Amino acid sequence: MSAATGGSLQPLESADGPLLGCESCGLVSRGVPPDRLPEGAVLRCSRCRHPLHHEKPFSVQRTWSCVIAAAILYVPANAMPVMSTTSAFDTNTHTLLGGIHELWIDGSWGLAVIVFVASIAVPVLKIAALGLLAWSVRRAPDWRRLERARLFRLIELVGHWSMLDVYVVVLLAACVRFGSLASAHPEPGLLAFAAVVVLTLLAAHSFDPRLIWRDRQQHG
Amino acid sequence: MTRAEDALVVCERCDQAYRWTPLRPGAIARCTRCEAILGRGHRIGPDTILALTVTALVVFLIALFADVISIRLGGTTVSSTLPGAVAAIWDEGDWMVAVATAVTALIAPALYIGLRLYVLVPIATGKVPIGFGPCVRALHQVSRWSMVEVLTVGGLLSLVRLAALAEATPGPAMFALGALTLLFAAIEAAGLRHLWWYVR
Repeated sequence: MSAATGGSLQPLESADGPLLGCESCGLVSRGVPPDRLPEGAVLRCSRCRHPLHHEKPFSVQRTWSCVIAAAILYVPANAMPVMSTTSAFDTNTHTLLGGIHELWIDGSWGLAVIVFVASIAVPVLKIAALGLLAWSVRRAPDWRRLERARLFRLIELVGHWSMLDVYVVVLLAACVRFGSLASAHPEPGLLAFAAVVVLTLLAAHSFDPRLIWRDRQQHG
Repeated sequence: MTRAEDALVVCERCDQAYRWTPLRPGAIARCTRCEAILGRGHRIGPDTILALTVTALVVFLIALFADVISIRLGGTTVSSTLPGAVAAIWDEGDWMVAVATAVTALIAPALYIGLRLYVLVPIATGKVPIGFGPCVRALHQVSRWSMVEVLTVGGLLSLVRLAALAEATPGPAMFALGALTLLFAAIEAAGLRHLWWYVR
């Protein structure tokens, strides 16, 4: 702990039984080692009754299933149009990349970069990073733990910004309603993209960052 | 299972245990192992958080009922509220996107404010509300799914995209969303853990 923080927290080693912090209220309880816990028993925080887990149940499996589903849906999310616009003369369909391209041509370079980061870069980063985190828990537990912990915090910080394009299409479809003169409608690609965003959020919620710090023998 | 000392804190990101010492206001304590934030020294107490939450409620009602965007094309003006936008997407048959938008833009922020008021108002008068524990736990989940700040930027982005097509103006709800983003950031920084200090 650096002096600048004003805190003087001393790391503790638990002598008998693991110390479990309640993720809801923060109260620290002395748990029972996982191998001595009866089958089906759940430890609960004595203050707020929140379940206390040595690690989140099926954390790696649940992360993998959400990551794989998101990776599959990422293809239609980018290949299919997310929105169509109808004017008096013609009908146009717009993909995610197409929308960014339009902003770029219009001269809104800053906005094009923001949308590119939110819609393209963040989902790819999340799918790749969560896959790497889930893989390394089992296969490379000692590898760059601090960097992996930082990577997970970054994912949690930026994850929900991918909803940006979903909101834009929802608002455009709601506002551009001038009958045959001009109208905007959502297209199936939007559903796939929204599913990718929700699945990557669920994947991040499923992953237990404490697993990064476990040694190989500590989970069977 | 025994209850360990209250003066302990365990890093929720890596399970490292620490002996807790009170932090001075504005200080941030980080885990020495994984660098996650262990706690903050708070500048604002529960009364201030309550005041911010009441403000957030008023601002949220504006965001809910006022127009978010109005556009004019050929003498016709069309405007939409946020619930109206969700309903429009639902009517288009894209009901899953409508649900995702409603949950992250309307329901989660509503619960975020409502549950906090339910917990903070009794505490301000020295009482403990019924179901305090479940409410605080629900607040944890709700704050993950509230995406007001993303919606604010999405609204601004929509305005830019619409400007190419017609005369687009932001409605009162757009400004309310901007204010709500700042209020939520202030409330969120205060955290939830400290609430437990007032119920024992």
